[in-house]
Amino acid sequence: MKNFSIARRQIDNISVLDVTGELDAHTASQLENSLKALIDEESYRIVVNCSRLEYIASAGLGVFMAYIEDVRSLGGDIKLTNMNDRVYNVFDLLGFPTLYDILDDETEAVKGF
Amino acid sequence: MGTPLSTEERHSRFELRTLLETSRLLIESHDPDFVLNNLLLITMGKLLVPKGMIIIHKPGDEEYFVSKSKGRGWLQEDDIIEAEFEAHITEQGVIRGDEYAEVFDALGIERECTLFNLMTSNHHLGFLCLGPKGNKEELTSGEIEFIESLTIISSVAIANSRMFQELRYINRRLDRKVHDLNTLLELSKDFNLMVDRDEIARVFKFAMLGQMLIRTFFFALDIEGTKTIVSISGIKEEPDRDQLDKLFELDDVTHVSGEEGCHFLTDNDIDLVIGLRFQNEKIGVVGVGPRATKEGYGTEEVNFLQSLGNLALLTIQKTLLLEERLEKQRMEEELGLAKTIQEGLLPNPLPPITGFDVAATNVSSRQVGGDYFDILELPDKGHLLAIADVTGKGVPASLLMANLQSMLHALAPLDVSLEEATARINDIIHDNTPPDKFITFFWGKIDPHGYTFKYVNAGHNPPMLFRAGKEEPELLDEGGVILGAMPTLMPYTSSEVDFKSGDLLVFFTDGVTEAMNPEQTEEYEEHRLIDCINKNRDLTSEEIMNAVIDDINQFSNNIQYDDITMIVVKAS
Repeated sequence: MKNFSIARRQIDNISVLDVTGELDAHTASQLENSLKALIDEESYRIVVNCSRLEYIASAGLGVFMAYIEDVRSLGGDIKLTNMNDRVYNVFDLLGFPTLYDILDDETEAVKGF
Repeated sequence: MGTPLSTEERHSRFELRTLLETSRLLIESHDPDFVLNNLLLITMGKLLVPKGMIIIHKPGDEEYFVSKSKGRGWLQEDDIIEAEFEAHITEQGVIRGDEYAEVFDALGIERECTLFNLMTSNHHLGFLCLGPKGNKEELTSGEIEFIESLTIISSVAIANSRMFQELRYINRRLDRKVHDLNTLLELSKDFNLMVDRDEIARVFKFAMLGQMLIRTFFFALDIEGTKTIVSISGIKEEPDRDQLDKLFELDDVTHVSGEEGCHFLTDNDIDLVIGLRFQNEKIGVVGVGPRATKEGYGTEEVNFLQSLGNLALLTIQKTLLLEERLEKQRMEEELGLAKTIQEGLLPNPLPPITGFDVAATNVSSRQVGGDYFDILELPDKGHLLAIADVTGKGVPASLLMANLQSMLHALAPLDVSLEEATARINDIIHDNTPPDKFITFFWGKIDPHGYTFKYVNAGHNPPMLFRAGKEEPELLDEGGVILGAMPTLMPYTSSEVDFKSGDLLVFFTDGVTEAMNPEQTEEYEEHRLIDCINKNRDLTSEEIMNAVIDDINQFSNNIQYDDITMIVVKAS
C-alpha cells in the first residue's frame, strides 16, 4: 500500500486533519472518507494540515473540490495549511489559491474561524 | 579641491544623476505599471507640469487607451481614444502642437501639450503626453532632451517587462501543460492497476474536479445497451432514462447553450458535454459544470477532457474484457467437466461379446457433442448395441444425448420389445424437446447365442452389414421416423438378420460420411467408406475402424467439423 495516512485532532470545535505522504489517485478515497465522516458528524470547520504532505495529484485536489462548497454552504470551511512549495505549486497551477484559503500556518487558520 | 562648478554644470550633473537613478529604477522593474507611473510622476515633477498622461497604443484595434492620467480636466485612466497614425508620426521622438496640430486634434487634446513618443527601435508603444507648464513657459530644449532620454529608457524598460511578463505567462502555461501531461501519465499508470469499475470512475471524477477546479460533474456509460451514471458530483438529481438517451445523442463536443432540449443540463448548470467513443461507438458521456476560476472551456480543456475521458473509458473497457475472459475461462472449465461426464456415459471398457470382435470410438469435434453409442449386456445375456446422433452441437446436443442414454439404460433391462421401447423414447423426446431437436437413432439386440440381430432404425444412417465374401453391404434401414420429430403415430417396425462367421457390421454417424475435403466441395460419402472397409476386411475390428478414421482424416486433411462415431462388429 502507498505511504499515506490521515490523523485527526480536535482544537475546540475545529477538526484538524494531518495528512501524511502522497495524496494521489489511490489514496484520494481515504481523504474523501475522512471528509465525509466529518460532514456526517456535522463538523464543518475543517483545517487540513499539509506539513507532511509530500505530493498531491489532481485527483487529490479534486476531493477538496468535491466537498469544499458543500462545507461552505453549511456554514463551515476547509482551510489548508503548512504546504511545502512543491505541493503548493500544484494548487497554484490549477488556480486553487485565488478561490480557497491556503494559509502558512495552522494556528492562523484556526484563528480565522 | 578642484575648481568650483558653474551653476550650469551643476545643473547638468544633477540631471545626469536623475537620469541614471531613474533608468536603474525603471530597468530593474518588471512591472510596466510601475515604470509608466514613475515616468509620468518624474517628468511632471521635474518640469512642474500640472497634468500629464500616458496613452498606450493597442495594435490591431486602431486605438489608444489611457494608461495613466494625472491632473484635472483630462482624460481618465482606461478611457479609449480612437486614433491611428502613419509611420512618420509614430517614428517621431517629440511631437508639438504648432507643427502637428492634426495629431492633437485626432487625440482630442490641447495643442499646447507635448507628446513624447514611447518607442523602441522597431516598436511604437504609445505617447507620454505632458500638458503646458504651470507658468505657461515653453519647454526648453534641454528639458525636452531630458524627457526624451527618460522616455527612451522607459520604453526599453516597458518592452523588457512586457517580454518578461509574456515569458512568465508562457512559463506558467508550460508548467500547467506539464502538469496536465503528468496527470494523464500518472492516471494511465494508476488505472492500469485498477480492476474495480467504481474505483476507476471515482478516480476519474476526482481528477476532473481537481484539474478543472469544478464541482459539478457526471460520467455516464453505455454498457451493452444499458445507460447508467457511473460517477457524479454536485448534481441535484440524476437523469432519468429519457434524459440519459438525450445526453448520448448530443454532439461529441457540446458547449451547452440551453437549446439542447435536455433539462438535465440546464437544471444542473452543465457547461460542457463530451462524448467518448470506443471503436467509433459512443459509449461514454462526460459533463462538467462551470469552473471555479470562471474561465471557460477552450480547445485545450476540451482536449484534456477527451484524453482523460478516453483513458478512463479504455480502462473500464479493459475490466469488462477481463471479466469476459474470466467468464469464458469458467465456461471452459465447466465444459471440460461436462466432457468428462459425457465420456463417462459411453461404455468403457466395451463389454466383451462372446463370438464377436467389437471396436467402437467417438471423436468429438468440440468439447462436448451430440453423438452417442452404447453396448450393454442384457439380463438374458444378449447384448444391446446402439448409436445415435443428436441434431446440433455443443452443450444442447450433449444434454439431449445424456437424456437418451439414461432412457436407454432404464428401458434396456425391462421386458419391452425394441419397437415398443423406441416408440416410448420417441414420445418422451418429442414432449421434452423443442421442435427443432431430433435424434437419429439405431439400436439392435444380439441374441444370447450370437446368432441373430434384431434392430429398429429411427432415421439413422443405415448400418452396413458386410456378408462374408461380398463387397456390397446390406443396409439395415427397417424402423420408422427420426426421434423427437412427431409423436409416435405409426408404430416402429423391426427387422432381424442372422450372423455368419466373417460377417462384418459397421455402425457410424454422419460425421463419417459427411466429412468434407479441405476445399469444402466434396463429402467422404458411403462409397469411400465401403471401399476402405473392403480393403481392410481381413483385419481386426479395431484395425478396420482405425483404417477408416485414418482414411477420413486424410480425406479431410485432419479438419473435423462434426463428431465421428463408429462401432465395428465382426462375427468370428
